[in-house]
Amino acid sequence: MKIKAVRRPETPEQARDWARELGEQALYVAGGTGLHFMTDPAEMVAIPLDRIGLRGVECSGRHYRIGALTPLADVMNYRAERWAFHETGRRTATHQIRNISTVGGNICRVFPWCDLPVALLALEATMVLLGDDGYAVPADDYFASQPARRLANGDLLLAVDVPVLEAHMGFGYRKEVICHSGFSLMTVAARLRLEGDRIRDARVAAGAALPFPARLKQVEALLADQPATPDTFARAATEGVREVAWKGREDWSDAYAAHAAAIAVRDALDRALTFARRRDW
Amino acid sequence: MNDPLTLHIRLNGEPRVFAADPDEKLLELLRRHGLKGAKFGCREGVCGACTVLLDGRAVYACLLPACLADGHEVVTIEGVGDQEHPHPFQQALVEAGAVQCGFCIPGMVLSAKALLDENPQPEDEEIREKMDGNLCRCTGYEKIWTALKAVIAAGGGGGEDAS
Amino acid sequence: MKAERDFQVVNHSVRKVDAWQLATGYPSYTADLAPAGCLHVKMLWSPHAHARLRSVDIAAAERMPGVRCVLYHGNVPRHPYTTAGEGFPEPSPYDQFVFDRKVRFVGDRVAAVAAETPAQAEAALAAIRVDYEVLEPVLSLEAALAPGAPVIHDEPDAYLPIPMPYCPQENIVARVGMEDVGDFADGLARADVRLDQTFETQYVQHAPMETYVAWAALDGRNRIQITTSTQVPFHCRRLVAQALGLSVGQIRVIKPRIGGGFGSKQEVLLEDLVALFALRTRRPVLWELSRAETFTSGRTRHPIRVRVRAGVTRAGALTALGLDCTANTGAYGGHGIPVVMCCGSKVLPLYRAETVHFAGQIVYTNLPVAGAYRGFGATQAYFGTEQVMDQLAEGVGLDPLEFRLRNHIRSGETSPVFAALGEGKEGVPMTIGSCALEACLRQGAAAIGWDRRRPHTEKTGRLRRGLGMAALMQGSSIPRIDMGAASIKINDDGSFNLLVGATDLGTGSDTVLAQIAAETLGVAVDKILVYSSDTDLTPFDVGAYASSTTYLSGMAVKKAAADARGQVLRVAAAMLAAPVEGLLLEGGVIRAAPDRSVTLAQVAHYALYERDQFQIIGTASHVTEKSPPPFAAHFVEIEVDTWTGAIRPLRYVAAVDCGTPINPKLAEGQTEGAVLNGISFALTEQYLFTPKGRLKNASLEDYHLWSLRDKPPIQAILVSSFEETGPYGAKSVSEISINGAAPAIGNALYNAVGVRLHQLPFTRERVWRALQSHAPE
Repeated sequence: MKIKAVRRPETPEQARDWARELGEQALYVAGGTGLHFMTDPAEMVAIPLDRIGLRGVECSGRHYRIGALTPLADVMNYRAERWAFHETGRRTATHQIRNISTVGGNICRVFPWCDLPVALLALEATMVLLGDDGYAVPADDYFASQPARRLANGDLLLAVDVPVLEAHMGFGYRKEVICHSGFSLMTVAARLRLEGDRIRDARVAAGAALPFPARLKQVEALLADQPATPDTFARAATEGVREVAWKGREDWSDAYAAHAAAIAVRDALDRALTFARRRDW
Repeated sequence: MNDPLTLHIRLNGEPRVFAADPDEKLLELLRRHGLKGAKFGCREGVCGACTVLLDGRAVYACLLPACLADGHEVVTIEGVGDQEHPHPFQQALVEAGAVQCGFCIPGMVLSAKALLDENPQPEDEEIREKMDGNLCRCTGYEKIWTALKAVIAAGGGGGEDAS
Repeated sequence: MKAERDFQVVNHSVRKVDAWQLATGYPSYTADLAPAGCLHVKMLWSPHAHARLRSVDIAAAERMPGVRCVLYHGNVPRHPYTTAGEGFPEPSPYDQFVFDRKVRFVGDRVAAVAAETPAQAEAALAAIRVDYEVLEPVLSLEAALAPGAPVIHDEPDAYLPIPMPYCPQENIVARVGMEDVGDFADGLARADVRLDQTFETQYVQHAPMETYVAWAALDGRNRIQITTSTQVPFHCRRLVAQALGLSVGQIRVIKPRIGGGFGSKQEVLLEDLVALFALRTRRPVLWELSRAETFTSGRTRHPIRVRVRAGVTRAGALTALGLDCTANTGAYGGHGIPVVMCCGSKVLPLYRAETVHFAGQIVYTNLPVAGAYRGFGATQAYFGTEQVMDQLAEGVGLDPLEFRLRNHIRSGETSPVFAALGEGKEGVPMTIGSCALEACLRQGAAAIGWDRRRPHTEKTGRLRRGLGMAALMQGSSIPRIDMGAASIKINDDGSFNLLVGATDLGTGSDTVLAQIAAETLGVAVDKILVYSSDTDLTPFDVGAYASSTTYLSGMAVKKAAADARGQVLRVAAAMLAAPVEGLLLEGGVIRAAPDRSVTLAQVAHYALYERDQFQIIGTASHVTEKSPPPFAAHFVEIEVDTWTGAIRPLRYVAAVDCGTPINPKLAEGQTEGAVLNGISFALTEQYLFTPKGRLKNASLEDYHLWSLRDKPPIQAILVSSFEETGPYGAKSVSEISINGAAPAIGNALYNAVGVRLHQLPFTRERVWRALQSHAPE
């Protein structure tokens, strides 16, 4: 990737219009940290987005709205009730990356090791985009395929809405790395909704050891309407990941990745349960 | 509209104007203009030897497209302190014997400055999280840790020492 | 000796002389000093592990924009040499050429471009047309040693410059060894418990924060001035001259501040080409390796397969200890012979064994090139031997600590291994002088809480903790081979210029040497203006390796300072009209009586300007007769996740006897840094290859250096002893502590969960698989 020119918009609409005008040569640049991994030799026109706003986290009652250009460090530092997404932020990359790398940048082009999509899938987030007009896409649709393709027409991600965790809901997040700053070898996120001692429903997603982040529907099915016990978690984790084609990265074999998946799911569920009980408002 | 490649940067407190190559990273621009304190250690956004402050936040100058610094404030090690007026963390590093080869130290100083400017009394966990992007192969970080804890114990340094 | 130990400067943690310069970011390193307008070098590296170059066509590349020179085997001199920076004649084969007609690993040199900008040089690489005849690659020890294996070094002009058989037709650099001490087979036979286990270490890299970098320019008299990040400026000058067919006097090598080396820069990898480009283009030329290039084409630690055989009696006496080492040196053989010899010489003498065996061989493969790396063979051998010691202890029902206390070598004892194994030849007999290993063992054990240690059979649950330990020794310099020299001269104001060839690569040796000079001259350390190293200005020194600088160069400094001191006193005696014998030099003042004194500044002034003028200047060289070992006892506590196999180190204690620590904080720093490198070596660092021999994780992101967030607390305990042959009682400290973590963690793993691993690193998958086959619970 070589940047041959720079055009710097002042508003999201201007950014979108220029991106449409430039077509395939357009390259939105948020923090720019992803450029390092874009190794194709194409010559692009950079459209830096640092002047168009879209920074910060706000609560609107039902959800937290995270501006697409909010750096991960701000996500990590943000604290509020029934908010758990900072757990993901503080485990991503290093502080220098978190200071500049944005939520939007992380989910507009999903690299295999990306962490945020896994958490956003489990948290049932919604992406807010600007096409001809504004529109919203649920995480399940948004991450159904590489978002970069969806956004190739110049559509711009404006924000991510993360639902406020309701009472009896808990969130658990596991990321397996060789060193803290390393890319994930296994990311699992789980959101449990309890009803008394039973699990009403669960959303569980995984990434890094998969070609693309995905929900673990089998695990979810094995949890729904079951008692919230270690046995349930162990069974769901073991049996629910069996059909998935896990991919070992770095020095992990595929077989070990499959083993690690079951444990990461179990650990994420344990954590979600603790979380749910702690926040039993 | 201004030319996006004519960069107006407040560099170490002084307004400066630079002509940038569109593909250039901030590290190259700084070193090209004689500021050699930020080091090239990996050019892949891992080692932290190139760390500078962008609007007070520690960032990797090796990854940052120079054009993104336009209109922003950049602080490099040259703007942090000298032997007569050091940042307290620089003083503490020298006293603790924490400077071995020294290649990582400018980056360490900038990350610590950002940390302490934001919170002069960080807990250990916050220190670990916010100093995790500066690698050192010489020290095992023990004396760097000791130096940082000493600064925090003495009140946290404070940004007023910086220019 | 008592009075001598009441030190004024030595044994104090004075500020490092370059600390302020580095902490404030003053331009100090090789790349910082490169002139504007340098040409930039880029190398076309071999994409094949093993291939012959049928043809290389540079015509199109030469016509590319900004290109000033293209070099390849067709237009450079061909002189066999080694890139290993060692004393002459090197115990390393001359199996390299500036460029060759064959490439022997992915990342070998093919052709290089010097252009106005890095991007132009890079672009020109793509225009070089190379016709490769791809050969079968040899990617393992087995493949290299198999009958009929492809011969990696079939060039007729390679040779070994020392009297030792060179066997490239067998893919073997050399076989080394010694005559058995006693009847080794009988020693094993007599043992009540005997072990025969094979351990294997992996490819790892030093990964200093500064990559390989050098630049060269012609001076006004057409001499080549090379500024380079090197540990061995004098060897660099000699080797560049040899590779290019120049005389040493045509070359000047300057070593500025170095961004870490750890052995990687005991290698002359860039300097020949920047010199040649500077000669051809008459322009300054800069070559900076990228991080990926540093991983792929830089030096690594020799992976070594070590078979350990040992036996012990029920009473706990070692009857036999033997090592058979097979080292993978990669595509070129530099350092292989001394590294393997150090597997024996730095390890076997630690224990009093009735019979001793040692043999080794150094094997070529088409993999990255191994070289010198902190620990230098001892690291690889201790990984196995110290795990074997724990097993022997267990076999005879002794605590591992007690077993080591009973069997380790002590002051006044010797080992026949010292005389048998040197570096590239026989060694030098040595009786151990200082040894505080017992105190290291006891203090370290107390610090970690060794008495809490319980057998693994008593441990349950998912997370299990374990305690482990290792005992270690290293050496200090290469006796009768290495030489260091220093000169020191007085200035008008009573300050001194200390000029040393010894090479501070970030360790703090400039400070340590200044302290030694200051102690000797009775001045504060800030009166010593130390300068290292510049082959035109500073006296010869072999450079920074073999744990030699404090012990060897430090003694040269002490002698040179004593020489200058003698001259100072003679002048002062004349000035005070008092006999030399009665003078006292302290705090920069020479006294004949309480009321009759002169200052050093007055002495300097007198000698330089007033009467019988001369330059007070001391010069001395030093060659060691011994390589006194520092000793260490390392202890670690870990937590093992039995579900995943993940090992988390919780605490580490390293108790070290380095004689007198000249600068305690710097000695601690050496220890702490070496320990963390040892921990990541044990747990996470490794080269991962494709089936065709290409390095897959050639980036810091994928190689994983530990950050402040990853590391456990590390406690360094300096246990003083006094080495009579060292400067102010000092021995070495920098290398020893990288060797402990792998065996100590291996022993702690066994203590936690009852499994033992023989292959590094202890990845979580390896531990998990071992636990699976061990079937706990």
